Amino acid sequence: MELLVYGIINSITLSLVSLGFTLVYSISRVPNFAHGALYVASGYLTWLFLNEFMGFPYLLAILLGVIITSLVGAAIYQFILVRIRGMEISEIIATYAIGLAILEGLRWGGLRGGTFVLPAFFPGSVSILGVSVDYQRLIIVGAGILTFIILYLFTRLTKVGLAFRGIAQDERAAMMLGINSDMTAVLSLAIGSALAGLAAVLLLPLGNIVVEGGYNVLVFAVAVCVIGGLGSWGGVIVASFIIGFAQIMTEYFISAHYQMVVALLAIIITLLVKPSGIFGKQKELEERV
Amino acid sequence: MRKLVCIIIALFAMGFFLPGAVTAADPIVIGAPLATAFLYGWDAERGIKLAADEINAAGGVKVGNTKRPFKVEVIDTRDLEPGVPVSEALLGLEKLILEKKADFIIGGPVRSEAALAAMDLLNRYKKVSILTTGVLTPAYHKKVAENYNKYKYCFRNTSHVGVMMPEFLTLLEDMRKAYGFKTAAIMVQDVAHARAGGEAMEKALKGKGWTVLAPKIYPTGTTDYSVGLTDAGKNGAQILFLWMDMPESTILLKQWADMKLKCIPIGFVNAAEQPGFMKASGGKGEYLIVNLVNGGNAPAKITPWTMKFVDAYKKKWGLEPEGYGTSSSYMAVYQLKDAIEKAGSTDSDKVVTALENGDIMGVYGRMRFDKKTHQIIPSLDPKEGAVTGIIQWQKGKRVQIFPPKVADAKIVLPPWMK
Amino acid sequence: MRKERIDRGLKVRTEGIYAITSAREILYLMGPRILLIVGLLALPLIFELAPYWKKVINIMCAYALLALSFDFLANYVGLVCLGGAFFTGVGGYFAAIFNVELGMPVWISMPLATVTGAVLCTLFLLPCLPLRGVYFAIVTLMYPLLFTRIIEALNILGGTNGMTGLDALPNAYAENYLIIVVALAFLFAMRRFVNEDVGLVLRAVKDNDQSVRASGISVTRMRIIGVFVAALLGCFAGAYIAHLYMWAGISLFALDFSIIPIAAVVIGGGGTLVGALIGAFILVPLSEVLRAFGTFRIVIYCIILTGFIVFKSEGIMIFLQRKYHQFERWVKV
Repeated sequence: MELLVYGIINSITLSLVSLGFTLVYSISRVPNFAHGALYVASGYLTWLFLNEFMGFPYLLAILLGVIITSLVGAAIYQFILVRIRGMEISEIIATYAIGLAILEGLRWGGLRGGTFVLPAFFPGSVSILGVSVDYQRLIIVGAGILTFIILYLFTRLTKVGLAFRGIAQDERAAMMLGINSDMTAVLSLAIGSALAGLAAVLLLPLGNIVVEGGYNVLVFAVAVCVIGGLGSWGGVIVASFIIGFAQIMTEYFISAHYQMVVALLAIIITLLVKPSGIFGKQKELEERV
Repeated sequence: MRKLVCIIIALFAMGFFLPGAVTAADPIVIGAPLATAFLYGWDAERGIKLAADEINAAGGVKVGNTKRPFKVEVIDTRDLEPGVPVSEALLGLEKLILEKKADFIIGGPVRSEAALAAMDLLNRYKKVSILTTGVLTPAYHKKVAENYNKYKYCFRNTSHVGVMMPEFLTLLEDMRKAYGFKTAAIMVQDVAHARAGGEAMEKALKGKGWTVLAPKIYPTGTTDYSVGLTDAGKNGAQILFLWMDMPESTILLKQWADMKLKCIPIGFVNAAEQPGFMKASGGKGEYLIVNLVNGGNAPAKITPWTMKFVDAYKKKWGLEPEGYGTSSSYMAVYQLKDAIEKAGSTDSDKVVTALENGDIMGVYGRMRFDKKTHQIIPSLDPKEGAVTGIIQWQKGKRVQIFPPKVADAKIVLPPWMK
Repeated sequence: MRKERIDRGLKVRTEGIYAITSAREILYLMGPRILLIVGLLALPLIFELAPYWKKVINIMCAYALLALSFDFLANYVGLVCLGGAFFTGVGGYFAAIFNVELGMPVWISMPLATVTGAVLCTLFLLPCLPLRGVYFAIVTLMYPLLFTRIIEALNILGGTNGMTGLDALPNAYAENYLIIVVALAFLFAMRRFVNEDVGLVLRAVKDNDQSVRASGISVTRMRIIGVFVAALLGCFAGAYIAHLYMWAGISLFALDFSIIPIAAVVIGGGGTLVGALIGAFILVPLSEVLRAFGTFRIVIYCIILTGFIVFKSEGIMIFLQRKYHQFERWVKV
């Protein structure tokens, strides 16, 4: 029973973490390696608003943290990435360098040690099917599902959302129809960063804000996206469930210290067997020489 | 472009010439290779600086007929940062020796891998080093014992796993007698020293007739411990033995408190050493028992010097000693001073002999090095040797509860365990 | 008005027969090369009074080798390797095994570790060689992490404590000149290699793999050669570092070994091979000078790196080459 409950929670956590990364990649084809850094930065900002700057109410602090993160994301595209758009390697190196600069800058600026913590939204726990689960995890599951639904509706019903999908499917055709490619890319980075921020404020109350968290988040986001197929949304959800349950099962049946090995092996096996990932159909022909 | 080149050249020149200009011949230079961005790094730095300042204020070190002050040169070895190779830390150590002209090395390198690798370097440059923080592996002093002539310059004045384990066992046995506990669950981080600690504990407890659940090993960075915790709860564990040095262990404690598990967490938990831990855990860390490796890393009454040290530290740095590595780094400077004065010189080989024969009462008991292994001699009695510092978080404060001779309070069980 | 670039007369002349008839032309051709060779060889002597900086030269050259390997893979084979650390780790551990476990002397263990390490790396990377796109990059990024985990989890090869007690190199000069000579030798060998038959085919694989295939040449086999050569460089760097510090441990798989070489290539100028060296010679001492700033130095060099990518993506070497071979003037349009 714990397997099921915590498997689901773990999977939704993973997909929350990687959703922002995949959204940015699917729309603007930018592998945003600063994702992990934005995640940590948003958590730290929220903490600052909550504790250092005149103690805003929690909700306001969260809102501010997420909004500023999304502005930072947009700024990264607007001022830096726009100049190297399309050069994949430069994009990877530039975003990674920015991420590293943010993370190590935070560490230098005082984010060190284990004393940075966001409070849980509601303390306490409840028993579900005989398994004790704290409220924060329930909120994560709820918020995760809600985010999927909102994103789904957003990309299907609103004009901006449809523009997103247009760009993702065929950039040239979309541009011919008058969709501004750069503008959508800026928006996608803003939304992707906001998602990273959202994941941070939801997940960080479970633990504490540390710089190393940024690297872990990045590794997991990349892992999930590669297995699911880079840029595929359905793939992200399926892949997070695969990795999520695989991890919980390894912990349960073998030993927790093989968790990371399982995730990494999963990536390598996926690349060998089906390099485009589980759901990456359309690009498959291009992958093999 | 040209500007950038100019700036780079200027920076280069600065790094190259400045230190040379500042170096004076008179003071005795203590090199401190530490990972200054981390706990075990910055607290050790503060400890060393405090001791050096105190000694200098009292006139300095008497070498022969002259009084010479200490000068502390700290260098960031970065060895606790993920993704940084140990060669970086070793390069830092060489910088201390070659460029800052350090006479002695106190402190790190902090990571075991780096400290073990540094021993060969210390031998090459013939520099006496007192390791004070970060390294808990018995491999360090075993290496000295195996090849004394090569590694005789390496000393360590903090405790190690081989000593901490029996002490934990004594503590747990005391608790069994007092409360009738008999089942223990073990959770450790996936690094060698923690795994070794967990295994040793499992064996030792089984030997004493405890029921021990299969140890759970968590990779560094795990953020969910629910499976292991519910498992422990279901099997009726009363002791939760932890060995972790990652910040995420706070999550484990939060989950433990939220689930109100009927067990008490005990162990080596890096995240729970600092005074700020209570706030960080949102009060969930209450009742946790932590090993601070050496006494004096939290307020206690081990020797008269302990509180004097705690107060001096508070006065200089604005907070209580922060954790493992603080008191030992502080004492290492005094041990060195004692040895230099006895040797009457700063010659490495003479100081080695003097350190081997050194015997002073310090912050955490009597400080003597074993002559063969260069490891500090431990004891449960401060009059006999160096004393450990096992504390419990009680009402948001760190209170010394073990060893019994120097304990300030008794262990308190969480209310939901009754 | 517009700026126009024109080749210097000297350059045009030296491309013809005149190259060997006049001292000036010979100097023009050989000057930069000799400057690099002599300068590098003289470096340990220049720093005679600052023994610490001689140590930095060692590390600098080791990173230069890694950068060379990255540049070669990325710009001549078309594979982006984000895991230089994989090569250093494998090379370093092999050196430790040969030297400590099997008792081989340094001059055997180091070359042997280089070759066996390169073979092993190539074997491990074999599965992703038939693939195009970012997969090689992702797999190489993952391998160092995976190997670290495996060594930790299984507690083999010394576990997290690493293996110590490797034989040191005889003295400081041997340390310096071994790596300097090897770096120079590899540099000039690579420059020739990419213009040999094999090198030309490799470059063709990068530009148009379908046409290579159509000519009846196996793309995978060509890439195996490319990866093997790059791994040789990386594994040598690893084996050298292991012997330099008499230790091999999991931090030989550290991220720095992957990141700094990439940054060096970006700054030095990709595709020039020399640029990789120059980049490492700038970055490593810079990061050493900034050590006092703690983790802030990473911020500084990340900003420099981003700046180069965005504003000066050609890198220093190509910029210098242009200045050397061409001059600029304003002309009326």
